[in-house]
This record gives sequence, C-alpha cells and structure tokens, in this order.
Amino acid sequence: MAIGSMLARFGRKKNVTADDAYYTAGQMALIKARFKRKTSGMVAAWILGALVFMGFFAGFFAPVDPTIAGADKDYRRGAPQAVYFWDQNGFSFRPFTYTYAKEKAKIDLKALAGGGLDALDALTSSGALSSSSQNKFTVDEDKRRYLQFFVKGWEYSLIDLSVGDLDLDIRWDRHLFGVEHGQVHLMGTDEDGKDVFSRTLHAVWITISIAIVALVVKLFTSLLVGGVSGYFGGKVDTVMMSITEAVRVIPPIPIYLACAVALAQIDLTSVQRYFAIAVVIGMLDFATLGRRLRTHILTERNQDYVLAAQLCGSGTWRIIWRHLVPSFGSYIIVDTLINFPYVILAETSLSFLGLGLTEPVNSLGVLLQKAQDPDIQQNMIWQFFPVAVFVALIMAFVFVGDALRDAADPYAEKK
Amino acid sequence: MAEKALVTGFEDVRVIADFIGNTWLLWILLGVGGYLYWRGRNSQYFNYVFNRYVLALITLLIVSGIVFSLMEVLPGDCAEKYIAYKNTQGETITQADIDAERARMGLDQPLAVRWASWVTDLTLKGDLGFSCAKRQSVNLALGERFWMSFMFCIAGLVFAYIIAVPFGILSAFTINKDWKDTNPQHTKAERFVNTLGLSFNKLLDLQLRIISYLGLALPNFLLALSIILLYVFAGEPTPTGLFSDEWKSVPWFGDNGFEFGKLQDFLGHIWLPIFVIGWSATALQLQTVRALVVDESNKLYVDAARARGVDGMALWAGYPVRHSISPLFNSVGFDFQRIFNDLPIVAVVIGLTDAAALLIEALAQTNDQELAAGILFLVALVVISMNFMTDAVLAAIDPRVRKSVLGS
Repeated sequence: MAIGSMLARFGRKKNVTADDAYYTAGQMALIKARFKRKTSGMVAAWILGALVFMGFFAGFFAPVDPTIAGADKDYRRGAPQAVYFWDQNGFSFRPFTYTYAKEKAKIDLKALAGGGLDALDALTSSGALSSSSQNKFTVDEDKRRYLQFFVKGWEYSLIDLSVGDLDLDIRWDRHLFGVEHGQVHLMGTDEDGKDVFSRTLHAVWITISIAIVALVVKLFTSLLVGGVSGYFGGKVDTVMMSITEAVRVIPPIPIYLACAVALAQIDLTSVQRYFAIAVVIGMLDFATLGRRLRTHILTERNQDYVLAAQLCGSGTWRIIWRHLVPSFGSYIIVDTLINFPYVILAETSLSFLGLGLTEPVNSLGVLLQKAQDPDIQQNMIWQFFPVAVFVALIMAFVFVGDALRDAADPYAEKK
Repeated sequence: MAEKALVTGFEDVRVIADFIGNTWLLWILLGVGGYLYWRGRNSQYFNYVFNRYVLALITLLIVSGIVFSLMEVLPGDCAEKYIAYKNTQGETITQADIDAERARMGLDQPLAVRWASWVTDLTLKGDLGFSCAKRQSVNLALGERFWMSFMFCIAGLVFAYIIAVPFGILSAFTINKDWKDTNPQHTKAERFVNTLGLSFNKLLDLQLRIISYLGLALPNFLLALSIILLYVFAGEPTPTGLFSDEWKSVPWFGDNGFEFGKLQDFLGHIWLPIFVIGWSATALQLQTVRALVVDESNKLYVDAARARGVDGMALWAGYPVRHSISPLFNSVGFDFQRIFNDLPIVAVVIGLTDAAALLIEALAQTNDQELAAGILFLVALVVISMNFMTDAVLAAIDPRVRKSVLGS
C-alpha cells in the first residue's frame, strides 16, 4: 500500500505541466530560467567560470612556479615561446616548442683594455649594455622540446582547508602541461625570468579573493547600517543617513589611499596586508547599498507580516534578519555580483599606484602596474598579457551581472 | 594732521576690506541661509530649499570631521616634517625641539580641539590650513590647480552627458522592438524600409552597448596607457602633460599679443585627459539613461498617451524621456565626485600637475595631512553644493519633489 501511494504521488508529480512549474517556481528558479535565455550572459558566464576555475587551480594549470624560486635565470626578458604542430622538419602529433639559447653579448673589450675613454663612451651610448640588448635569444629549430601533459613539477597546494590546528592542506605536484627539459613560457618572462602566464593565472584568483572578502565585509556593513537605520527610523535614521551621505560625498579612492598608507606603517605580512586592504575597501563602500536597504525596510516595516511577527513576540534582530532582509534577498545578491568589477577596479587602482599589494605578490593590479613602464611598452610588449586577461575578466563580470539584473527584474517579461 | 587722519581712514577701509575678503565663505553661507530663511516663511518651495540647505551644511560639517580624523591616520605630523626640513639645513635637532615645535603648532591638543579650530579658521578666514611638506599655506599651494581640476571634471562631465544622453535614449528606443518589421498592415515596401531602419537601430544599440561595456571594463588608467602606447608605436611624441616642452615656458600674453600657438598646443594636449576621464562616465551614463528611459517607457501613462494617438518622437520626448531626466539631473553631483575619484590615477599616468596629482602626492608620498584634507574637503564642498543646487532646480521644475522634505 505504501508503494501504491508512493507510485500515485510519483504519477501525480509527473503530471505537473510546464505552466504549473512556472507558476509554482520560487524566485531563484525564475531568475535562473530567465538568465539561461540570455545568450550573451550565458557565454560570459562560461568564460567567467573558466577564468575563475583556472585561477582557483592556478597551481595545476600553471606550467612554471610563479615565485622567484621558479624564475628562469636563462630566459630573462624572454619573448613568448610559440607552440607548433609542424615545421619544415615535418609534422608531429605532439605540440612542441624550440630550444632557446641566450646570445653571447658581443662586447669588444679589447678596445677598452687600451684605456681609451672614447671607446667607453661609444660602448655606453651604443645601447649594447642595456638589458634588452643583453637578453637576446636564438631559436634552435632542430632541437624540439615536446609538450608533455600531467608532468611532475614543483609542489603546490591544491586546496588549503586547514583551520586552526586541523591540517587539511591538499598538496600535489602534477601540472597540466610542461616540457621535457627546462620550462615553457607561453607568454614570455619578465625581468626576473618569472613566467608571465603562470603569474597571471595566480593573480586572477588573488584578485577575486580580495573582491570576495571586500564584498562580504561590504554586505555586512550595509546590512547593519541599512537595517538599523530603516527599522528604527526617526532620529537614528536621520543621524545615520547624514553620516552615510557624508561618506558618499567624499571620493573613495583617496580614502583607500590614506588607509593604505596608514596600513603600510603597521608591520604586516603580505597576506595580512591584502586582507586588510580588502576589509578597508569593503567597509567604506556601504553607502549605496545601505541607503537602498534602508528605503526598502522603511516601506516594509509597516506591512502586516512585520506586525504579525511582533505580535508573536519576535525580537528586533529576528525581524530584521529573518523577515525584512530576506525580502530584499534577490536584490542584494544581484547588487553584490554587479559590484564585483568595481571592487576589483578599486584594488587594481590601489596596486597600480603602488599602495595596494606590492611586487612579490601576484595580483592583477601588481601586474598591471608594469604596463606603465616605458621599457616594457617598447621592448617587452608580452607583459601586457595580464591587461588582456584583466579586461576579459571584468567584461565577463559585467556581462553576467547585467544579464542577472535583467533576469532578477520581475517586470522584465515581455508583454 | 589732516594727512594722518586721511591715512588712518584709508587704513580702516583696508582693514574692513581685508576682513570681508578673508571671511567671504562665512558671509556667503550666512547670506544664502538668511535669504532662504526669509523667503521660506510663507513659501513651500523656499521652505524645502532652506531645509535642504541646512542638511547640506550638516553634511559638510560631518564631511570635515571625517576628512580631518581620516588624515590623523596618516603617519608623521607637521612638527616632525618641519624639524626634518630644518635638519636638512644643517641644524641638529633633539626630541625636546620636536615637542616644543609641536606645542607651538598646537599639535599637542586633542583631535576635537584641532578640528574645531580648523573649521573656525575655514569659515571665518577661508583658510584651509598650512601645508607642511610645501611650507606654504594650503590656499597658496592649491591656487589655480584646484580650478584646473574643477574644469577637467566639468569638461569630462559635459563630454559624458553630450554623448550619453542622446545615445542612451536611442538605445532605449530599440529595446522590445524586433529588428524586422512583420506588421501585416504595412505594404511590402514599407516593411522593407522599416526593417532597414530597425536593424540599423539594433546594430547601433549593439555597438553602443559594447562600447559602454568596454568603458566599464577598461579602467581610465588603462585607456590612457593604451592611447599613449599607440603614440609610442606610431613614433609620435606622446601627448602627456599639459604643454609640450617648447611652449611650457612661453607666457599666454607675449610680445605679439595672445599666443595662439600656445593655445593650439594646449588644445592638442587637453583632449587626452578629458576624453579619458569622460570615457567611463559616458559608459556608466549610457547604461543609466537607457535603464531609466526603459523603466519609464513601460509605465501606464505612456500607454495612455499612445492610446490617445500620440506617436513617434512626440510620444518619446513628451513622456518617458521627460520623466527620466530628473533622476539623471539629480546625480550630477555624484558624477562629478566619481570623475574626480578617477582623476588622480589618470593624472599620474598622463603626467598632469593639477589638484588631483597634488592629492596623490600629499597622500602617498609626503603624507601632507592638511593639504590632503583641504583638497578632499573642497571636492566634497563642490559635490554638496552641486547636489543642493540640482535639488533646488529640480524642486522648482517638479513640484512632486518638494513633498519629500527630510527624506520622510
């Protein structure tokens, strides 16, 4: 009999039409369905997902260790190494690169040995001593270096779940690809011989993690300010809103700057420093969301369900957190996603000015900072690769956020 | 005797003139407030504007407090800077000297006292304080640089609005419309012409959206860098700074009258910062205008107007566009703030010497607290007065706004 009723229920469930599913679907299911209909949003979501995934498992996808330990001393300021399938020597199923050898600098030291100052002048003004002419490489097309997949390399932390004393750091030493001898530099190397491609992959995740921390902090401050201000109203509201208004009026980047300078005085490790910067960016960004939340709660707090909750004996915090804030939930989620690129931009701007994260750390801002260097603009254009990745990342975020905003709008359905 | 009396009388006039000249800020604030209060006795409109004015003053006071206490977190104070400066002159300095200097400058007072004296100095004398790193008063150090930044921001704002408003409206116009006209009541020729027009609009909309997304994704400093990079590749001199080297030292009014060559050179350089600054503001405004007009165009009164037979341009200009202008106009102050926010980084990349560049220098390199506080306060002052003025103008045009006094 139990089986019979189960079957009956099963059968009934099957009879739910598409129409019924539409009318009984929750808010989130509707947003998801509407989002899926938007092609540009879906494409951007896939690109974004791929970038974030590659960033999160950067250790696996990166062929070279991005720290100074993995720097290639024999290939400093080296150009990107192209990957081929065939050349004049024939076709190969396995992709390969060539062997690159550093050119011996041809400096005529004999002339200098004579002690002639003119020779020294000629040498210094000829540019033969500049680093770009010192680091020239010849391609040996006969020595192929085949790409290998799932190679053993430097050990990295795949996922670090360690909390307190609990050691759950999962480490691995396999990488997606590499070459037999030496290293492969798909996007060239920088002045220290660090691989630009690997650095960029690591930088993506660091930048996104800063944005996540900043947005979580921002969410909590906005909820606190907006919730309290809206629920209590009256004098509390007036005071809090004038402070919010004042914070909104001052341009934020100078404030971040001042805080970053103050942080530079405290002795922090680079990791602590980046969390501190994320917290500062998040804390000072509450104004817009806080105001919207306050307006929403001001109108909602007179609704019947709030009165019902009050009559049932719910406390203030319970009403704010369990009833008022969730009624604004989808807006908060969408707003958070839309704000992702702006938080990333704030961090990048800070690092670009040299006050956010600094050199040994791989963050997109640090890598973008190099684009300002005239030497890199003229001789090492491949160091603009992080710029392209950065623009792609922000674009993907903007497209996804836009599609999500359209999807979350309940009045967006065509009439 | 008579001569002396004349001189002293002259002196008196000069003292009074100096007094008024120094306290201009106070008189303007009191004058505007008094006028509004007097007019506000029996006018709903002026009552509203007076309330807004008081709110703006309170906000300004809070801003000065925030800015001043924020500057406290910057390391190093004025006495240390002064002593370090003296040190370079070859004098040996002890801790006692620093303490004495600190007492002389009043730096040993608590924060609130110093803040109060800063605010009183500002309102009574229009004095923004003393810049420790520059060794001169902030007013002098800023001078015309602030006006230069101000003009940059205004030019960027105008640039953004000129592009964003018409194209945003055009972009909103294409939403909810197919690219193909399938109306069976139209003849084949009509359908063909309409399809051409609609698909052109759709294409334009697509391009605009891509541009505006790019504007959001490509931060100002990257855009400036890419433009400079293009110049580098082309082998041309980059248009950084405000003047090229040959015109830098030439005065505006030389022996041959006004130097048009200098003006030409100036215009050849000035477009870059304005374009770069205006770019992302344009992108954001395009999105905003589009969203606002789309929101309005879905409302019932537009349907009602359509039912009355209003059509085409008359419908769009008279109903949704007209009503979506007010929130846009309202945000001018914050657009200014956003543009100034981006200006320092652009100034670093392009090599400008305006107030924004000075702000970066004061914050990041010399830790010059009073200078930074002065610039931030002036920016906030501009934003708040812009907000106040747009509110006043808006309330004059749109009576619905007047009811929302004090935001309740």
